[in-house]
Amino acid sequence: MIERINFWEIPEIWHYFAYVVLPLCGLVMLGRFYGRIRLWWQVGRPERRWDKPLVRLWRLIKFGIVQVKVLSKTYPGLVHVAIAWGFFVFFFGTALATIDADFIKFLRGPIYLIFKLMLDTLTIAALAGIILAAYRRFIQKPSRLTLDRGFTLSLTLVFVIVFTGLLTESLRLAAIAQEPTLQPGWSAALAWWTPAGWVTAQLWLALKLTPAVINSIHLWIWVTHATLVGVLFIALPTTTLVHMFTALMNVFFSKLDRPVGQLAPIAENEKKEPVYVSTLRDLTWKQLLDGDTCTECGRCQEACPAYAAGTSLNPKQLILSIRDALHRDGPTLAKGNGKSLPLVGETIKDGVLWSCTTCGACVRECPVLIEHVDAIVDMRRHLVIEGRVDDILQGALANLGRYGNSFGQSERMRARWTQPIQPKIKDARREPVEYLWFVGDYASYSATLSDVTQKTADVFQKASLDFGILYDGERNAGNDVRRVGEEGLFEMLAEKNMAALDKCTYKTIVTTDPHSYNTLKNEYPANNGHAVLHYSELLDQMITSGKLKFTKKLSYKVTYHDPCYLGRYNGVYDAPRRVIEATGCTLIEMPRCRDKAFCCGAGGGRIWMEEAEVKERPSETRIHEAIKLDGVQAFVVACPKDVTMYRDAVKTTGNEERIVVKDLIELVHEALG
Amino acid sequence: MNIVVPVKLVPDLVEELTIDASGAALDTMWLRLIINEFDDHATEQAILLKERSGGQVTIITPNAEGVDDMLFAASARGADRLIKLVGDFENGVNNHALARTLATTIKDLQPDLVLTGVQAHNDLDGSLGPLLAEYLGMPYTGYVSGVIVNGDKAIVRKEFPGGLIAELELKLPAVLGIQAAEQPPRYVAISKVRQAMKTATLEEMDAPGLNPDGGPTIGRMFQPEAAEKAEMISGNADVVADRLIGIFKELGVL
Ligand code: SF4
Ligand code: SF4
Repeated sequence: MIERINFWEIPEIWHYFAYVVLPLCGLVMLGRFYGRIRLWWQVGRPERRWDKPLVRLWRLIKFGIVQVKVLSKTYPGLVHVAIAWGFFVFFFGTALATIDADFIKFLRGPIYLIFKLMLDTLTIAALAGIILAAYRRFIQKPSRLTLDRGFTLSLTLVFVIVFTGLLTESLRLAAIAQEPTLQPGWSAALAWWTPAGWVTAQLWLALKLTPAVINSIHLWIWVTHATLVGVLFIALPTTTLVHMFTALMNVFFSKLDRPVGQLAPIAENEKKEPVYVSTLRDLTWKQLLDGDTCTECGRCQEACPAYAAGTSLNPKQLILSIRDALHRDGPTLAKGNGKSLPLVGETIKDGVLWSCTTCGACVRECPVLIEHVDAIVDMRRHLVIEGRVDDILQGALANLGRYGNSFGQSERMRARWTQPIQPKIKDARREPVEYLWFVGDYASYSATLSDVTQKTADVFQKASLDFGILYDGERNAGNDVRRVGEEGLFEMLAEKNMAALDKCTYKTIVTTDPHSYNTLKNEYPANNGHAVLHYSELLDQMITSGKLKFTKKLSYKVTYHDPCYLGRYNGVYDAPRRVIEATGCTLIEMPRCRDKAFCCGAGGGRIWMEEAEVKERPSETRIHEAIKLDGVQAFVVACPKDVTMYRDAVKTTGNEERIVVKDLIELVHEALG
Repeated sequence: MNIVVPVKLVPDLVEELTIDASGAALDTMWLRLIINEFDDHATEQAILLKERSGGQVTIITPNAEGVDDMLFAASARGADRLIKLVGDFENGVNNHALARTLATTIKDLQPDLVLTGVQAHNDLDGSLGPLLAEYLGMPYTGYVSGVIVNGDKAIVRKEFPGGLIAELELKLPAVLGIQAAEQPPRYVAISKVRQAMKTATLEEMDAPGLNPDGGPTIGRMFQPEAAEKAEMISGNADVVADRLIGIFKELGVL
């Protein structure tokens, strides 16, 4: 029976290379890797990321081994997986070979052949992957990739290693084909279990090289292969390939303690003082690990509305600046001497942080689960505490603190939009209601939105919904206040709203505002088991249950914009789509829809800030995306701020004749007849 | 350097103002008070001076609803001492009475500099600064938008209409009416204010006998009354012109 031959035709002296030198290289690798990563905990703050090991292990498999996020982009995904799996299999194969050689002999017969086939297949896959990666890197050159020498070097090194591996195998097969006694049990038929090796071997055979010549080429190629593996080991911790380790660690330690829609409160140090992130030392070890993990793939950059608009924010660059700062200042900081240089304001400018809409596209796209938004908000908290906010934002925050709304109007005006509504909307503070409608600032105060808000009330009334509002007891829910980094104000607003809500008897909260929805659902402490629904979900339920019956069939061709805080943050994609379809409209999707939806640019408090110099506003980009769709008449939104943002964008792009912005409720209202 | 900033709360114009039954005062029922914007600038200027050249900033204010929050916010911004004057302020006092009572307290504080807002929208009897200067026997300059302290002198920047700017030198102690701080009042995060609520102390001081002499007595207070109704003329140019000529004739000007 055919079996694996250890160190086939390799002189004994070289065995020491494999058994002594390579393990030493491995040790050097570990040492150098340790030298790099110790900075995480020597510089960064502690943070608990060890709980729930099984869930973490599952994430490791899903995102680190199977690489589902990497695969979400087909070409680069497949290319990456081919190479990465090559690595995994070669690693695994070497381990098996070692067991076979030094412990229990089991690589014989069919097992041996399958083993060979596996290695050979992955050799082809990896080589193909590397060639396609090179094509992408040197010919296609997508702008989101970092195209520097480090990556070229890694790619070349890996290519040569895999290729010399293939050559070694093929030379061995060529020699055996001439002298089958070199591997008992060998036959040309079995050679097809190593197809790539066997095909390449034909080349050597065609050259009619003598077994002696083949043997010596085989030896030197083997030596080259093994030496390069050693070089790879030693170099790895400081090459771009280090992400093999850091990425696995990063997905393992990714956050589990809260949903994406929930920010962590401000951390405290041992003295129970709040930690505002302004230097490297204030970041947690996990945030430093994020920096060391970034593969520079640029997927976050490509998805980022702030980057697309031409602001100074590039999420990839932001993460890399953390990494670079760590390797610049970390070693001195770790020694305990050396002051912590300002990270925020110096390495990362204020404007960069303020440009973020917290749309979450970067987090969603990142294949290695880097947590950009959390870091951005942490640093914004520092800016807020320092009073480094622009005038408009300052005005809005002051208004929110004083009046509970960003419009700077009295709370007594909050429910003014209800005046024409008959019968009067119930005051949920006075009588029990089934649905408590949390109206939100924009829907309440914005003059241009009162029509939409009134229509919402009308639809609810027509559906005989038992609902009420908080009238002047409502405050801004605080979602964006929190994302601006004004945590104290968020707490204050939340306390006031909680106090108002606590006095009411209701079953479910409903809101038209995805921002309020997100924070009420994910961040309000102990919602006392009250469900929180977005109106799209409620409408969907009412349509299904027959409570809402349409008398008119609309025939518009529409497209739908997923609000970030409804879609990406809370996964509500289908309810609004079902409602649109129930009204009879035909829904045509934009290229970027659902979790890939492009942000309108208003989130994260951006709506309260000075507008930066931009090439094109995100909302305008989005309108351009929509009008490219064939025959779309309406741009449907499910967020009050979106109505404002996109009506403006339609005007500023001069598309008033081509498309109208409609709130979901306007379609429903119309279909009710 | 010892800087004292007298601050007053004024009606917040976000709420609709209503006149009470007497017809001579605002109805306090719906009144919401807010820091006088110029006093806010005076506070900021005081803190800027302190940050630049050290010293102590004392905020002093007559008691009113919401005054504690204002004081804590000032403390969070960097004020060192917070003084609340308690007395018969309930029905509002004019600036003469306020200046007299402030002067008594401020004298004891022995300030080098008194910074006050140059005006307030409810000043009915002149602004506070000059009155205060008079009772304190100190020099006064108003409409100040920048201060540099140099030993026992202050150089102040003062803006005149038409874009003229003057730099004046004053001997300290002095009272300045601040029009604008050198930079807009900074944002104070709520958590800092909350922290100040826990750590800062409010000193209460009695405001002795309020004497409003010298100020006017209000006879009547009322909302602006609509003038006689205007007639809107619509139509094309010819129609409008005909109508205008008609009106001029009716009025006897043509
Ligand atoms: S959250 Fe959105 S705007 Fe902010 S960095 Fe990420 S992609 Fe850019
Ligand atoms: S942060 Fe993530 S998505 Fe962005 S470049 Fe780095 S690895 Fe890619």
